[in-house]
Amino acid sequence: MKNEILPWLILFLPLFSAAAITLFTLRRKTVSSLISISAVVTGFVLTCLFLSANTFHPTVTETTVNWLTIGNLSIDFGLKLDALSLMMMLIVTGVGGAIHIYSYGYMHDDRSMARFFACMSLFTFSMLGIVLANNFVMMFIFWELVGVSSYLLIGFWFEKPSAGDAAKKAFITNRLGDFGFLLGILMVWSLLGSLNFGALNSIVTANSAALGCGATLAGLLIFCGAMGKSAQFPLHVWLPDAMEGPTPVSALIHAATMVAAGVYMLCRTFFLFEHSPEALHVIAYIGGFTALLAALMAIQQNDIKRIIAYSTLSQLGYMVMAVGLSGPTTAMFHLTTHAFFKALLFLSAGSVIIGMHHEQNIWQMGNLRKKMPLTFLTFFIGALALCGVPPFSGFYSKDAILALALEEKNYLLFGVALFVAALTTFYTFRLFFVVFFGQEKSKEASHAHESPLVITLPLVALAVLSVVGGFIGVTNFYGSQFGAKHASLTVMEQFTHPFHDVFPMACGIGAVVVGLFLAFKFYKNAATDPLPAKLGALARWMANRFYFDELYEATVIRFHDLLAQSSDWFDRWIIEGACIGLIRGGTDLSGRALRLVQTGNLQTYAFLFVFGVALLLYFVLVK
Amino acid sequence: MSILTYIAGWPLLAALALIVVPRNYRVIIRAIAVLATLISAVLAIKLFCQFVPGAAGYQFEQQIPWVQSLGISYHVGVDGINVGLILMGAIVAFAAALCSFEIQTREKEFYILLLVMTGGILGAFASLDLFFFYFLHELALVPTFIMIGVWGRGEKKNYATFQITLYLSVGALIALIGLIALHLQSGANTFDIPKLIEHVKTHPFSQGAQHLIFPLLLFGFGILVSLWPFHTWAPLGYGVAPSPTAMLHAGVLKKFGLYGLIRIALPMLPEAAQCWAQVLAWLCIGNILYVGWVAMRQKDLNLLIGNSSVAHMGFIFLGIASLNLIGISGAVIIMIAHGFLAALTFALSGYIYQQTGTLQMCELGGLCRKLPFIGTALLMAAMAGCGLPGFANFVGEATVFFGAWTVFPAVTVIALWGALVIGGVYMTRAIRNVLHGPLVEKWNSLTDAGHLWRKLPYALLLASLLVFGFWPRLLTEKINPDVEKIVAQIPPAFCVSSSGRESAQNPFAASQSRLAPAATK
Repeated sequence: MKNEILPWLILFLPLFSAAAITLFTLRRKTVSSLISISAVVTGFVLTCLFLSANTFHPTVTETTVNWLTIGNLSIDFGLKLDALSLMMMLIVTGVGGAIHIYSYGYMHDDRSMARFFACMSLFTFSMLGIVLANNFVMMFIFWELVGVSSYLLIGFWFEKPSAGDAAKKAFITNRLGDFGFLLGILMVWSLLGSLNFGALNSIVTANSAALGCGATLAGLLIFCGAMGKSAQFPLHVWLPDAMEGPTPVSALIHAATMVAAGVYMLCRTFFLFEHSPEALHVIAYIGGFTALLAALMAIQQNDIKRIIAYSTLSQLGYMVMAVGLSGPTTAMFHLTTHAFFKALLFLSAGSVIIGMHHEQNIWQMGNLRKKMPLTFLTFFIGALALCGVPPFSGFYSKDAILALALEEKNYLLFGVALFVAALTTFYTFRLFFVVFFGQEKSKEASHAHESPLVITLPLVALAVLSVVGGFIGVTNFYGSQFGAKHASLTVMEQFTHPFHDVFPMACGIGAVVVGLFLAFKFYKNAATDPLPAKLGALARWMANRFYFDELYEATVIRFHDLLAQSSDWFDRWIIEGACIGLIRGGTDLSGRALRLVQTGNLQTYAFLFVFGVALLLYFVLVK
Repeated sequence: MSILTYIAGWPLLAALALIVVPRNYRVIIRAIAVLATLISAVLAIKLFCQFVPGAAGYQFEQQIPWVQSLGISYHVGVDGINVGLILMGAIVAFAAALCSFEIQTREKEFYILLLVMTGGILGAFASLDLFFFYFLHELALVPTFIMIGVWGRGEKKNYATFQITLYLSVGALIALIGLIALHLQSGANTFDIPKLIEHVKTHPFSQGAQHLIFPLLLFGFGILVSLWPFHTWAPLGYGVAPSPTAMLHAGVLKKFGLYGLIRIALPMLPEAAQCWAQVLAWLCIGNILYVGWVAMRQKDLNLLIGNSSVAHMGFIFLGIASLNLIGISGAVIIMIAHGFLAALTFALSGYIYQQTGTLQMCELGGLCRKLPFIGTALLMAAMAGCGLPGFANFVGEATVFFGAWTVFPAVTVIALWGALVIGGVYMTRAIRNVLHGPLVEKWNSLTDAGHLWRKLPYALLLASLLVFGFWPRLLTEKINPDVEKIVAQIPPAFCVSSSGRESAQNPFAASQSRLAPAATK
């Protein structure tokens, strides 16, 4: 393999950048941001260099260093290089690079900008680690590290109580998922005796019953990890709150890359699931349910970032569903296009937020297309891609998922996916019409202005990718990893690929048209939301996210607090009291008892003395 | 003279020297203490680097006969198990001496006691003679009580001193009975640990003697390490202790009991260890889960840290109970990692207390803005405490889980819950309450750790955690060969394998031990 040092360099550059910023340049905003930006951009360039030398299928796919060996537990620090990881590296460094540059503009006036970039670099390092990991423990290590960088960035404005709470919530919810993930890893290790993905793959391929009856359980436990990180039901509650972080963070971590890590992990370990149809079923239905639930919630949100966040949840549900329908290629395809258009949507939203002086309520905006033409255009492209309007990238990946559901003869999930597609169009264009059309609904809206070039340039780059992402060969690369059914397609063939299977395509486009029509009808010139009046209680439930937070608060959290409270009480009064009480009381009591003997009365002493002598004499003489 | 004698000797020598320094020469007193611990730390690093992993026997040995009729000698040496502990102890002692600037009254006495404590515990870890092993630990333990009693803070000072003295004396006493019984029963007429172990290989203890002595050692040492349910002294004791004392005790001194179990109890009483492992595994749930819940409830930062430190002991016990190479190696790694971590957290809470005069979490808040350095360090420590990769604690905990999973799957599941979820909950709550949120008005005048000298102890401890977290092979390749020797002496599991993986055999193990005294007669 040529240039085998390059992947190591790409992985560790962001870590060096984070360390350098933390240790030396915390007081210098510009230097810090330049260090961080150059680390990730260099990573992108080096990835391209590596690809040009080795293509997507390097001859040597793993380079490892032994990290730890104890008996039969051997953990390597190794990089796995194949089409899957190399594509993801391109996304992480490419999209990440655009977002880093954007952040320079977005965070320019923040006094803690250096800290921001240190955390962003730490995140890039951790995310690249997940992508490149060649074994379960390595993946878990970076899994936790992205968790903590997400925690640090959500809580970036830690003085806001809501930001602190959101960070805490995200961390703990993720930890719940990781609990299952680590158990799954332990189980796989004890059943198969290895942690390395390649070795596990060959064990499972050679003997499909190697996991035995543990296959389903192990698969579902590992899926728990994805459930936490990719925010699938029932662990979805943290993602909307995570929008407390700065907008570039929402774009990079909570839309394009980190939340997709769960899907990536499922695809990376797909060989474990292949032999467990039950586990795949559960995964598919959880994905479908999450997609539906989140789309319903999105309809009644009023915060621009939260609407996009719920849409992210919903799209992640699509991806997870695709994995569950045995389509890792399709899932990764949607992950890739989603990374482009969702990053674009978030960054455009960020541009709107800057223009609106940090007002995020869409009912305070309106008619922004005149004030911010470029942002309007990029947002429009992102929205079209998200809804799946041909020929934008989202159309291709969503069509692939619909076709997959039909192919697997899962008509229920096909119906759900179709319905969600209509809902997606509806809430996206609700947002779009309210923000960019109609009347200015506040003073900020009439004084909005277009953002500077450093912000709009990344938008344009991402917009281009969102347009063409569907037919530039993404599926070819993933297909070559997972055994595609057909050979690589040329651009033209990809462009027309959905037309081979007209029914799902027609259904998909139909759903978009319905959604668009309804959004147009309700929100073309709306000054207030007409839906609550029409839907009544349902709208209230949607707006309150079906009361999941309240439910968890009342059950899980209350229960744990109760346990904590009773343990504390028991500790304080029973254990401490008993132990101390017994020792002290015992000593005290024997002291009191012995005191009675020391009366100071001569007669008593004499009596005891004689008694003792008599006793001794008895033992010596009589016995 | 062995380098080990110097490592333990310099602090003791400095303590003697301090006696003749007049008490108003405050700078000189402090300089002597810092210098002596610095020399120890540098020598310990040198020792760690020169140590040859996997070499036969002990390294850097030195033996001077003392009471030949009883077989007592001054005998020091290191193998893979204690070399890391000595390194950790010496670095923590140096950091503790640096952090002692918070002591403003009776400085001379404080530094003398601190140095005695340091020398004592480093000597105890280096000792290969049962007598010195125990004696040097007591030498280090007694100053703890005095320091908490005299320099402690808060209203509960007297009660805490009373409790910690009572508990630890009782624990040390029970362990002493066990050690004496061990000495007498072995029939080797020597206090030399390597000789005893060799002797036991050819003349193993009778079943009865093993089942009599092992619980004495387990619970005696267990009380010293705050094994559930004998743990209540720890949080309160650390809560009121001056931070250098808490650093040294929670970080270093507490590991003595665990070290004793691994060094003495396991190789000499392997069959009993096999049976009692079941009991120990279930007791450690008390540490991990129950004390974790207690920690969630604390309102005082120091009590929270103290409880979390007790909870961490559970992972070490679990590693020891698994009785296999992976588990015990993991336990030794956590012992070292937790030493650095406990010292770091108590040092940081001490700094905050010194600045604010309170550790009630509801009164603090938003401190990250005023104390960026201390805040970041506390954040990192909290993350290390809930097992974040990159810090040495993760390596140890993960290794323990891998080791314990094959033996006690149910316990491992609970331990995982404790490590990932409960640990995460109380650590993030603490961060949220202390560091995040709006800055309370009255803390506007706080000052961060300023110059390099003030930052050094925290940076040093953090760096140690990170080095071993990133490159755990530094530890594992030293630890493995010697743990392997211990594990080799433990017979193939008869209690554990016959009982399968259920706790149903618990009564069996317990009843056997109850029968044990009768069997010896």
